[in-house]
Amino acid sequence: MVKVIEVEPVTRLEGHGGLRVVLDDDGKVQDVQFNITSTRFFEKFLEGRYCEHIPRITPRICGICPIPHHLTPTKAVEDAWGVKIPPAAYKLRQLLQNAKQYSSHTLHFYALAAPDFLLGPFADPALRNVVHVINKMPDVGKMALKMMDFGQKLCAAIGGKSVHPISAIVGGMKKPLDEDVRDKFLKQIEDQVEWAKKTVDIGLKVVEDYWDVVANVGVVPTYYVGMTKNGIHDIYDGDIRIVSPDGEKFDYPPQKYLDALGEHIPEHSYATHMYYKPAGYPEGIYRANTLAMTNCADKMATPLADEALQAMRAKIGNISHHTFAYHWARLIELVESIEVIATLLQDDDVVNTDCKTLDVQPREGDGVGITEAPRGLLLYHIWSDAEGICKKANLLVATNHNIAGIEKTLMHVAKQVFEDKALEGLKLPDPWIK
Amino acid sequence: MAVKVAFMQLSDCWGCHQSLLNNHLGLLPVLPALEIVYWPAVVDFKHDSLKARENGSVLVGFIEGSIRTNEDYENVKLMRDKCALIIAFGSCSCYGNVHGLANQWNKDDLVRRKFSEVESIADGSGGEPTEHTPGFRDKIVPVDEVVNVDAYIAGCPPKPEGIVSAIAFLLGQKPFPMNDLAFCNDCSIKDNCLLDTGKLCFGPITSIGCSLKCTSNGNPCVGCFGPAKTVDSRAEKLIGMTKSLASISSGDKKNLYEFLTLFLNIPLMAGFDLAGDILKQVKKYGSPSTPLANLPPTTEEIAGGLMAFLRDNPDFTEISNVCDTCPRIIGSKSTMTRVKRDYEGLPNMEDCLIEQGYICMGPVTKAGCGGLCITVNTPCSGCYGQTKWGVNQAERFADTVLKQFNVSLSKDDLLAQVKDPIGTFEKFTLASRKGGV
Ligand code: SF4
Ligand code: SF4
Ligand code: SF4
Ligand SMILES: [Fe+2]
Repeated sequence: MVKVIEVEPVTRLEGHGGLRVVLDDDGKVQDVQFNITSTRFFEKFLEGRYCEHIPRITPRICGICPIPHHLTPTKAVEDAWGVKIPPAAYKLRQLLQNAKQYSSHTLHFYALAAPDFLLGPFADPALRNVVHVINKMPDVGKMALKMMDFGQKLCAAIGGKSVHPISAIVGGMKKPLDEDVRDKFLKQIEDQVEWAKKTVDIGLKVVEDYWDVVANVGVVPTYYVGMTKNGIHDIYDGDIRIVSPDGEKFDYPPQKYLDALGEHIPEHSYATHMYYKPAGYPEGIYRANTLAMTNCADKMATPLADEALQAMRAKIGNISHHTFAYHWARLIELVESIEVIATLLQDDDVVNTDCKTLDVQPREGDGVGITEAPRGLLLYHIWSDAEGICKKANLLVATNHNIAGIEKTLMHVAKQVFEDKALEGLKLPDPWIK
Repeated sequence: MAVKVAFMQLSDCWGCHQSLLNNHLGLLPVLPALEIVYWPAVVDFKHDSLKARENGSVLVGFIEGSIRTNEDYENVKLMRDKCALIIAFGSCSCYGNVHGLANQWNKDDLVRRKFSEVESIADGSGGEPTEHTPGFRDKIVPVDEVVNVDAYIAGCPPKPEGIVSAIAFLLGQKPFPMNDLAFCNDCSIKDNCLLDTGKLCFGPITSIGCSLKCTSNGNPCVGCFGPAKTVDSRAEKLIGMTKSLASISSGDKKNLYEFLTLFLNIPLMAGFDLAGDILKQVKKYGSPSTPLANLPPTTEEIAGGLMAFLRDNPDFTEISNVCDTCPRIIGSKSTMTRVKRDYEGLPNMEDCLIEQGYICMGPVTKAGCGGLCITVNTPCSGCYGQTKWGVNQAERFADTVLKQFNVSLSKDDLLAQVKDPIGTFEKFTLASRKGGV
């Protein structure tokens, strides 16, 4: 008899999804579906809006990473209208993007992922959550909260609001940081860098404890998509980079995205599947997000992070297909973000009032903007009419970039679990929290 | 005993929950009082576990998001069945939010653009995904179109402090301990009692302990220290005054508003509407004692009377808008002579943005955020919702600003210069427009 295993909903996930695994008579995995069950049609209702209002609407795509959804369409409109922004605005946006990266990666590690590792995957569902982690490991919990708080407050200071920021405008930024505010954040930097390092240590300990899992579960070769600036890891600006399963790298400027990125409309999910176009679907299915970014990058942008990347590469290779290494790569990015924040907070451009080009004129044409959001590449393609009203928009968001790859990974893991019974022999550590 | 709460997410962005989590350390005191029985974003309980609960057995249900899919619709019904109180949490749930702008098109147009037409579809696939997907409803609607809602927390997202104080309120918690004596005991202007001059002052029922700043500046006490354990004899006078609220001055209305926010910890300023009689409901179902439960009877009478008044006079709660909390000068040296687009120039930080030529939704948007957007030199776009419903919002905006601001444009000119009226005036609320688009 065919057996269907349903997980509804998939928890600790942004967005709405269920998981279905279908097994045949012999217990073989027939099908794995990741059903994303909601979408809101931003691709349509942006039509008719003032192009400069789009960045005030699209943050509502995701409350965890609204910052990239604020900055990326701004860049797309600037591309369409041929607007150059002042250096101060560039740096403020970079700082904003990294502040988000810092709080989001902390949230992801401690609130979404750590409960599994710290309590062990077989813990009581009533307890396997961040609230329980805070209760049981108050020091670590409070440190995590203070890290997220720093990132979110910095986002709010620059963006006006941390959830759904408003300060970026076509032509630059509406306001720089106030000096006294900047100084307040600078004072906390030393602690924050320490805590980021401590988080990496916890992460490394987890990797060690779960080495059997990291090395053996969900090791799936796919393509990867990310962004680099001249080959270096960057989350605010750069080109699209694709890495093939055997490590070949291909670069595309944002405007050439249609040469690289193909969209497949599945029958079972509102989040569409992306793939590397020259390789076709499903062969070209890629993954995005942290490990994809470290696979893409020749090196990290900052010293501590690069050191951490080299350490990871020494252990699992230059191009890694280890799904569980996503957590590791996330911590490397976490370190980079706090290093970038430290550098930028000391740069007087972030308090420079010359942060907006006064001369901005709409013109007819289309433009593309990309950034790397905390969950993966983000792309906006916006068509403007001569008055600056949006005629059409296309959005490729992190969920699109991830979902096919996640499904492919789940298929692999399902086979490991149900066919090879691979999990039964796995070495799992004693949970830190019992 | 911990209070059972459930958090449901419909079609939305997770941001209201992020905003709740943004309280970070501020959450620690409330968490032990909550027993979270459903919260897919954070906790591992599955859908079936909520279904299996007895109807009405969860005290408070927070619903984030608006209704786009059939699954959203079912989930709203399920929450109503299981929860004694339903809170519409955030502007998606209250008004539909930006994705309500999709209501300008038919479902088929939306589906065609996203699943068939977009430029990146490259392998001949396309069409609405229908396998194990819930299907879309024709139009986006806010939660109260489907079930009764007991209370609204507006904002996209609602402010972190506002959410926590809403939760604290529902749990019957007070932010400050109550002292024995009432404020009048310490009052710095006892001999010129404000109540005698006809001003609404809440000193007789408010706890002592503050720095007396308000009365020392000649302003009435608005109750920020919370209720006292005993009341002052002047409370009789206060009762009398609160019985004829319909005729009080606008200054007194403001005091009242602040009083309810601070004293009873009802986060009205966070956009928390008293659409349903929360107190009655909490009392009826509630294991948690309400903030009123342990109060002197006089205090309870006054506070209860005010709540009932607010419930029956929804207009009354519409008095505060974003301009009320905005530091910029109205009647400044600037005048709107044409409508500017947001990308034009860079406004100064002192003058009202409308008077500098930009469309700012402040005067027609419900207060609650404290004017966040304006602090970064950006006009309000209306995320806390309209201050008045059931009217043409574009016209109402024009009428309001022509009356109150330096604007030298005719109504027709002003409106003609706005090329995207729906996206400008109803960005967050189109799905709540009665009679549709
Ligand atoms: S109200 Fe705003 S923050 Fe809350 S879920 Fe909706 S879009 Fe997100
Ligand atoms: S219109 Fe806007 S800028 Fe002017 S006072 Fe009101 S909120 Fe402030
Ligand atoms: S200023 Fe307006 S748009 Fe901005 S947060 Fe407040 S209500 Fe929302
Ligand atoms: Fe899309």
